[in-house]
Amino acid sequence: MKVSSNLEKILASGQFAATGELGPPKSAEAEAIKRKAALLKGLVDAVNITDNQTAIVRMSSIAVGIMLLQEGIEPTIQMTCRDRNRLAIQADLLGASALGIKNLLCLTGDHQKFGNHPTARGVYDLDSIQLVALVKALRDEKKFANGEAIETVEPRFFIGAAENPFADPFDYRPYRLAKKVAAGADFIQTQLIYNVPKFKEFMKRVVDLGIHEKCFILAGVGPIKSIGMARYMQNSVPGMDVPEDVIARLKGVPKEQVRKEGIKQCADIIQEMREIPGVRGVHVMAIEWEEAVQEILELAGLLPRPRL
Amino acid sequence: MIKAKQKPIAEIKALLAPYRNILILGCGTCVTISFAGGEKEVGLLASSLRIASAMDPGGQKIFSEQTVQRQCEWEFIDAVAEQINQADAVLSLACGIGVQALAERYPDKVILPGVNTTFLGMAVEHGVLVERCRACGDCILGLTGGVCPIARCAKNLLNGPCGGSQRGKCEVNPETDCAWQLIYDRLGKLGQLDRLSSLMTYKDWSKDYDGGPRKIVREDIKL
Amino acid sequence: MTSEKRDLRAPPPVEPLPPCAATCPAHTDVRGYVHAIARGNFEEAYRIAREPNPIPYICGKVCAHPCEDQCRRKDVDEPVAICALKRFVTERHDLGLGHAPGLSCAPPKDAKVAVVGSGPGGLTAAHDLARLGYRVTVFEAYPRLGGTMQVGIPLYRLPRETIDLEIAPLKELGIEFVTNMRVADVDGLFADGFKAVFLAVGSHVGARLRLPNADLPDVWLNTEFLRRVALGERIDLRHRKVLVLGGGNVAIDVARTAVRLGADRVSMAFLESDETMPAHPWEIEEAKEEGIEMFPGRTFKECVLDEGKVAGIKCVKVDFHGFKPDGAIDMEEFVDTEHILAADLIIFSIGQGPDLSFLPKDGSIAQTKRRAIQVDPVTLATTKAGVFAGGDAVTRVGFIIDAVAAGHRAARSIDAYLRGVDPQTVQPPDPAKLGTIQQKTLDHIRKLDREPLPKTDAALRRSTFDEVEHGYSETQAVRAALRCLTCGAGARVDPDKCIACLTCVRVCPFEVPGVDRGTAEVPVDYCQACGLCATECPAKAITMTLQSDEGVLRQVKLAIMRARSGGEPGIVGFACRYCAYSGESPEVVKAALPANVQVIDVLCSGKVYALYLLKAFEYGADGVFVAGCIVGECHNDKGNVHAGQRVAYVKKMLDDLGLNGARLEMFNTPPGECASLVEDVTRLASKVKELGASPVQPGRSN
Repeated sequence: MKVSSNLEKILASGQFAATGELGPPKSAEAEAIKRKAALLKGLVDAVNITDNQTAIVRMSSIAVGIMLLQEGIEPTIQMTCRDRNRLAIQADLLGASALGIKNLLCLTGDHQKFGNHPTARGVYDLDSIQLVALVKALRDEKKFANGEAIETVEPRFFIGAAENPFADPFDYRPYRLAKKVAAGADFIQTQLIYNVPKFKEFMKRVVDLGIHEKCFILAGVGPIKSIGMARYMQNSVPGMDVPEDVIARLKGVPKEQVRKEGIKQCADIIQEMREIPGVRGVHVMAIEWEEAVQEILELAGLLPRPRL
Repeated sequence: MIKAKQKPIAEIKALLAPYRNILILGCGTCVTISFAGGEKEVGLLASSLRIASAMDPGGQKIFSEQTVQRQCEWEFIDAVAEQINQADAVLSLACGIGVQALAERYPDKVILPGVNTTFLGMAVEHGVLVERCRACGDCILGLTGGVCPIARCAKNLLNGPCGGSQRGKCEVNPETDCAWQLIYDRLGKLGQLDRLSSLMTYKDWSKDYDGGPRKIVREDIKL
Repeated sequence: MTSEKRDLRAPPPVEPLPPCAATCPAHTDVRGYVHAIARGNFEEAYRIAREPNPIPYICGKVCAHPCEDQCRRKDVDEPVAICALKRFVTERHDLGLGHAPGLSCAPPKDAKVAVVGSGPGGLTAAHDLARLGYRVTVFEAYPRLGGTMQVGIPLYRLPRETIDLEIAPLKELGIEFVTNMRVADVDGLFADGFKAVFLAVGSHVGARLRLPNADLPDVWLNTEFLRRVALGERIDLRHRKVLVLGGGNVAIDVARTAVRLGADRVSMAFLESDETMPAHPWEIEEAKEEGIEMFPGRTFKECVLDEGKVAGIKCVKVDFHGFKPDGAIDMEEFVDTEHILAADLIIFSIGQGPDLSFLPKDGSIAQTKRRAIQVDPVTLATTKAGVFAGGDAVTRVGFIIDAVAAGHRAARSIDAYLRGVDPQTVQPPDPAKLGTIQQKTLDHIRKLDREPLPKTDAALRRSTFDEVEHGYSETQAVRAALRCLTCGAGARVDPDKCIACLTCVRVCPFEVPGVDRGTAEVPVDYCQACGLCATECPAKAITMTLQSDEGVLRQVKLAIMRARSGGEPGIVGFACRYCAYSGESPEVVKAALPANVQVIDVLCSGKVYALYLLKAFEYGADGVFVAGCIVGECHNDKGNVHAGQRVAYVKKMLDDLGLNGARLEMFNTPPGECASLVEDVTRLASKVKELGASPVQPGRSN
C-alpha cells in the first residue's frame, strides 16, 4: 500500500472499484460544490475533479478537492501539463498533499484552442508521462525534478494516468500504457467507452503485456443523454469512438425515454466491463448529470460501496 | 529557411499613414523564396500602394523601390544608405531580423515591417510552406526518427502521442499530421521502436528562447 | 563552333543563331519576322525579311528554303512554313512605304563597278554597291533581266511581274542596266573605267549525254528549252510525247512546262530511285498531280529511232548509289532489263554549267577542274585583281538564296578592295548554330498542323502558265507563325539575382531550366520562350529576350490612353494570340470591340505578369481583362492556369485596396469561338460602367 487512500484500499482488496467525476463551476461559488458533493456522497470510492477541462477556466481542481475533503468525500485531483510549468506543478503538489489530497490523475491536457481562452500560451513544459515520473520521484525518492532532495515530508500520491484506447496509432496504445506504468502510474482511468468489442481487443493486448498486474485499470463509462449528444461525441470529440449500434439503441425508443435508456445502456456497459479480464473498476462520467450516477450504479449492482 | 507572409494591405497602409516619402526595401534571400518580400513583391506592393495613394484624397505618397541581397548583413544595407536617408520611412519586406538590422543601422529612421515573419520551414510543394523547426537549441531529431516534436507537436510532447491523435492527424488541426504518429511510423521503419519504451526526460528549455535571446560566438572565425 | 562541344547549361559566348537563320545563306532573321507575324506586326516582319535580301518577293515564291529543312520544329511535327510566311509579308507589304523602308544609302562615290549578269547574285551585289554609293552598271546577255529567275524558272512558279517589281527599285537606286549585252572582254571593262568587276553569269549551258543519235533535232537541252519559253516563244507541243531525262528540280520545271505547252504525255526518267529523286518533294508531288509519269532507276543507252525520227530512249534499270568524287557514276546495272521508253521529244535535264567562253584566253581568270570560275571562298576574289565572281558561275549549281549571299559577300569584298582594305577582314564569321532540342522538351511541345499553301487544282493548272501556288490568308499566316519555337530567343538568367529557389525549374512546362551549379540556368538551345519562368521568378532574375517589362508597360500606357479617348469606361486587355482569337483574324475581332477597349496581344496568357495588371490600374484603366485559352488547350501547358491564378490574386489585392476586384477578369476562350471573347468583354465593360470610373487618375501618383 503506497498511500492508503480509500481508492487504493478498495482496489488493493480486489473489489471492483467505482469512481465518479465532478466538474467545478465557472465561478467562485462554494455552494455549487456542496450541492454536487451531496449528489455523489457515498456512491463512489473517489471523485475526480477536472482541471480546466477542455481548456475552459473553472474553479481549481485542488481547491475543490479540499472542499470535498471537508464534505467527507475522497477526491482525485486532476492536473494537466497545459497550464503550469514544473515549478508550479511541484508547488501545487506539495500544497495538495499537505492538505490531505491523496489521489492524483496526471494528464497532458486538451489544447488551449478548444477552450474559452484560445489565444493563451500553452505551457507544456512537461508531458503527462514525465509528470507521472515526477510525482513518483517526489513520493518514492523524495526528490524534486531537479534531483534536489526533499528535506522533510514528501508529497505522497496514489498516481493515476489516463489512456484513450481508441486513439491512434491503435497498435501502439498498449505500449504507451506500459510506458506510463513503468514511469510510475498506479492506476489508469480510460476515456469513455462505447465500443466494447474494440475495448476488449485493447484489454487483451494489455493483459498479454502483463500490464494489468502492475496497475489498476478502471474503464471510463458514462450515460448518453440524447442522440444529439451521441452524435456530437461521435463526430466532434477527438478520440471518441461511438459505434452506430449504440446510437441505434437510443433511437429505438421514444424521445422521452432516451435518457432512461441511456442510463440502462450505461449500466449494461458496466456489466460488460466486469467480465473483461484486467478491468478493476469503472470511472463513471455523468457530465452535468451527476444525478444519474446513483441509478446507474444501482442498475449495475455496484451499490452499496464497500467501507474499509 | 525563414518563411514570412506579407501583412494585409490595410495594416501596411495604417503603418505608413504618417509618412510621405517611402522606400520599399525588399530582401533577396529568405523572403524572396517565400514569395513575400523579394523584388517581385516589392514591385507589386509598390504598385498597390500607389493605387491606394491615388485613391486617398488626404495626400499623396511617393514610393521608391529597392531590393538588396540580404537585409541581415551590414554591408548590404550600408550600400543603400543614400536611398534610406532620402526616405521619410522605410517599409522593409525582410524578416524581423532584417527590419531590426535596419533599425539598428539607421536609428534616426522609421523602419516599418511589411511582412510577418512566421516560422522556420520548407516548401513541401511549390507554394505550400510548412513549419519544421523551432530553433530550440537542443536538437533531438536523432531520437525521433527525424521528426521534430517541438516544432510539429502542438503540445511539445516528448513522450507522445496524446489521446487526441486520430487517424494520424492532430486534434488541433485536422490537416496537420500528428507528429508522434509520424515518429512512430518512422521509428518503425528504422527498426527503432524500442526507443519509445524509454522515458524521454524533461527538456532543457533554457537552450530555447526561454533562456533569453541566444548568441553564438565563434572565436575561431572572428577576424 | 558546334553545339556538341558547347556546355549547354552556360550562356553561349557568341549568340548562336537558330538553325533557320544559320542555315540561310543570307542569315535572314527568320525568327524575327516570324515572331513579328505572330504578333500581328506585318510591316515590321517585312522589314526584317527584306533587310538581308533585296529580292524578298521572288524568294517568297521560289526560294528552296533550306531553312525549313533545319527548322527544329521538324523534330516535333513539321517545319515552320518559313517560305510561305515570307511570301505572306511581301504580298501584304504596302509598296507605298518603299521596297526597302529603313535601308540607307551612302553618299555617292566616284568609282564605277561592273556587274556581269543580272541574276540574283548580280542584282544583290549591284544593290549593295549602289547603297554604298558606287556607280553600278549591270550587263545582261539576254533580252530580259533576272538571270535564271527570268530564263530558268517557269512562269507558273514565278510570274514575270514579280521580277519586274524587284528590279524597279534597283533602277531607282541609280543602277544602270544594259540588256542584250554579252560581255566578252573582261579586261575591256577596266579600260572603260570600271574599277572592279563581279562576274555572276550563272549556269545556262545544259549538259547532254553523248548517246547514239542524241544530236538529232528532237533532242533538246533543258536550259535552251526553258529560255525559249521564258523569252516569249510559243512552242506547240500538242500531240507530242515528251521524255525528260533527269530527276532534279530543273527537270521538273522542264516537264511541267512541257505539260503546259500541250504535250500529250510527259514523263521523266532518271538514275535515282523514287526515294532518292533529287528534286524537292513538293515539286515532285505537284508534277505527279499534273500527270507526269516517273521512271526511276534507269540509265540511258541510246536514242532509238523510227524512220529516222526520235522514237524513244533505250534504258537499263540500275541501282544508283551516287556520284563519285571525280564525278563518275556509282551504280550497278540489272541484267536483262533493257527496255525502251517511248517518246518523240527528248529533253536532257541532267545538269548545267556556266558558259566560260568569255573569260580571257590568257587564263588570268582561272577556272576549276569542274569548269567553274575559281575563287577564294572567303572573299570571292578570282585570280585576277579586281575581279570577283559568285553564284552558279562558281558553284555550277545552287539556290537563288545562295547567289544572294554571294552577292553580299562580293559587294563587301569589292567595297573593301576599292577602299584599299583587305577583303578578308570584312567578311563576318560563320555564325554558331543552336543544337538540337532534348527529347523530354520535344515531348512537351504541342503539335500543330502545318497548313499547305493553297494551290490551283492540278486539272486546271495543267493548261495555263498562271501561278500554281497562292499565299496564305492573314489568319493562316498568323497560325503558321505561331508554330515557330522561337529558338534561342528565350529566357536569360541574371546569376547575381538568382537565389536558386527552384521556381523556374518547377514551373517550366518543357523541363528546360536546371539548378545544378548554384544558380538557375536556362539552356538557350532548349528554351521555348513561353515566359512562365520570368513571370514567376520571385527575384526578377529572369528576362525574356523578346519581351521586356518596360516594353509591355509602355504598350499598357498607350493602350489606356487610346481606350480612354475611345469612351467610358477605358478597358485594356491582354489577349493570347494562340487562341483568344480562336483562329479568327485578330484585327476582325478587335474591330468588333468598341473603341474604348484596347487589346494588347501576347504570345500566351502565361506571359502576363501580375505587375502588368496592377500597373494598368495604376495608370488609370477602369477595367482590365486577360484572355487565354481554355484549360487543357494552352500552348504552354498551364500558362493559362498560372494566368488565372495571378488574376485571382490581383483581384483580391484590388478588393483589399477598395478598387473592387470585379474590374479585372480572366476569360478563357474555347477554340473556334472568338465571339465568346467579344461577349465576355462586352459584359465586363458594362459591369465596369456600373462600377463607375476608376478613382485612380494618372498624374496624381508617381
